[in-house]
Amino acid sequence: MQIRAQIAMVMNLDKCIGCHTCSVTCKNVWTSRKGVEYVWFNNVETKPGIGYPDEWENQDRWKGGWKLDKERLYPKMGNKTGIMKNIFASPTMPTIDDYYEPFTFNYSILHKGSKFKTPPSARPHSMLTGKVMEKIEKTPNWEDDLGGEFEKRSKDMNFKDVPKDIYGEFENSFIMYLPRICEHCLNPTCVAVCPSGAIYKREEDGIVLIDQERCRGWRQCVSGCPYKKVYFNWETQKSEKCTFCYPRIEAGESTICSESCVGRLRYIGIMLYDADKIKETSATPDEKDLYEEHLNIFLNPHDPEVIAEARKQGIQQNILDAAAASPIYKMAIDWKIAFPLHPEYRTLPMVWYVPPLSPIQSAAHSQTIGMNGILPDVDDMRISHKYLANLFTAGDEKPVKEALKRMLAMRAYMRSKTVDKEVNTKVLEGIGLTPEQTEKMYHLLAIANYGDRFVIPTSHREEAKNVFQHQTTGGYPDGDISDTDKFKNLFGGI
Amino acid sequence: MNTYINNLLFTYLPHISFAIFWFGLITRLILANKTVQAQSTQLLADKRVKIGSNLFHVGIIMVFFGHLTLFLPEELYHLVMTTETKRIIALILGSVFGTMAIVGMVILVTRRFYSPRINYNSNFHDHFILLLLLVEAGLGMSAIAGTATTSIEQYAALGRWAQAVITFQPDAGALLAGHSIQYKIHIVTGMLIFMIFPYTKLMHMLVYPFAYFFRSGYQLVRRRR
Repeated sequence: MQIRAQIAMVMNLDKCIGCHTCSVTCKNVWTSRKGVEYVWFNNVETKPGIGYPDEWENQDRWKGGWKLDKERLYPKMGNKTGIMKNIFASPTMPTIDDYYEPFTFNYSILHKGSKFKTPPSARPHSMLTGKVMEKIEKTPNWEDDLGGEFEKRSKDMNFKDVPKDIYGEFENSFIMYLPRICEHCLNPTCVAVCPSGAIYKREEDGIVLIDQERCRGWRQCVSGCPYKKVYFNWETQKSEKCTFCYPRIEAGESTICSESCVGRLRYIGIMLYDADKIKETSATPDEKDLYEEHLNIFLNPHDPEVIAEARKQGIQQNILDAAAASPIYKMAIDWKIAFPLHPEYRTLPMVWYVPPLSPIQSAAHSQTIGMNGILPDVDDMRISHKYLANLFTAGDEKPVKEALKRMLAMRAYMRSKTVDKEVNTKVLEGIGLTPEQTEKMYHLLAIANYGDRFVIPTSHREEAKNVFQHQTTGGYPDGDISDTDKFKNLFGGI
Repeated sequence: MNTYINNLLFTYLPHISFAIFWFGLITRLILANKTVQAQSTQLLADKRVKIGSNLFHVGIIMVFFGHLTLFLPEELYHLVMTTETKRIIALILGSVFGTMAIVGMVILVTRRFYSPRINYNSNFHDHFILLLLLVEAGLGMSAIAGTATTSIEQYAALGRWAQAVITFQPDAGALLAGHSIQYKIHIVTGMLIFMIFPYTKLMHMLVYPFAYFFRSGYQLVRRRR
């Protein structure tokens, strides 16, 4: 057993209002530079829709993630030889038109221009060529709030095995938001396909980063990531990706997208897992078992044996304390209401989602609704369960339905307690929650206090370097901490 | 060609250019290592890059290896083939891969100059390197007819010259005195490429990631300690 700690996130989609505050704050902090104008480390998609970049979930087109070939895992792009063969021109790399052509408006003309004969307007200018763009073809949220015709949106891969024509009708249409960041996978394909070895997973917290000094711009990571969350900076001609705001995480603070989330729907915590099981888990034969197998890779942070072993392997006590209080563990393991995004890519993603509840169909009013005892039947929900299952459990509807039931039951239970003033425990029957658990779940999901949402241990930089000997020298050429390795990498290009 | 200029260009210039090459190579790798990288513009427009880049790279790499055979001493390759056979093989492979490289480069040049996004984001360096390589490859191809028709002695002299240069023979230049002008311009341009090589994006060939094949498994984890 090789115990590692992973910083993980859960987003409660039930509360997402699609305001893009996370995207904008992330953009301002990380990608407001030349070369990455088109890059959104965090973006919010309206589902159903093809997303950003175009059809990113269509792995027949983009070849991201892993494929299982006779019990062995290979990047879907090909094995090492296959990848190196394509190094001169990557056949499955999206072009900027698959994202969008970045543009700006020349507002200065409104201030500085001479007198206009016609009412002035600021026209869009391409940030790639500086020329006027006659038409803006798209942006990262072009389909916002179901914009555009259903025909285009219905290319969404999650409609697999869903009678999508029904959902194309206005009366039956549904909507949900899906905020996305890098998944910081346990078995990342971007790392696996990077020939330079520039992308790596940090051992101490599992954050996946790109070493900008070692990135040689071979671009394979862009194709390899099934979530299309590695981006190519066309100015520096190196790849960049979401950093999970590691400077903030190291200091025990939440990421900027979580901090600024107005719906308070993002949760960050530590998960302990057994790194020896990664290979076996990602190679689970049946896609539909991947979610369950992913749950099995995690270790119980309350188990004294796990704690003792983790201490022996050098994991610090504050990280174990955080793991024991992890909101992620509660949602993913204790209550089973959080799910990974597209486990079928076999990367073992670590940004999980609580599926959204949706209105019970209008049938409820005409008294024809199936009442499962006291609760309305989740089958009558507006959002297709198959659709949610395609997003979160490789098509297995059962776990998603169970999660929705638990969330409905929690609402019913709390309503009985606070509105009816008479606790109704009957609603909790048969769904595997005790009243205490339900109250805790309510506290975390509905009240969502800051300290409960973010349980982030500070990192141990003192283990990386003896900073004491650098005191009073930082910033000067001889003692600059960051420069000490400078001459070590002569001819160390690869 | 005047003996003095001939000596200057074919006895001394190679050494001067190699001195500059090695100096630049080492200083660039130490002082600006992270700038050594492929400079792909595939993201901005890839309609033509897929075919162009593959043709060019495969062609030019094979041509490069072909040129390395100049350093094979005659005694060595005579064990397997005669000079005539070597010339025939060189002519055939050189034409095939040279044509590939040139076709690829023409595609890349049209893309570089006529695709608005690429052209706007290119600098003198991008244009110059591409055209320089195209000229060099064109000169090499134009010498093919000459290589096919000259005496076998003239052909063998090319290899002898290359070996004389790297073994620091003082009269190396004399071996090329009777050769046609295409060879001479081709060689001088080649020396120019060597001289500027460390200061250009051509350096990316040195960081070709061979180590990827030797990585055990696929994943990389970095320890803090």
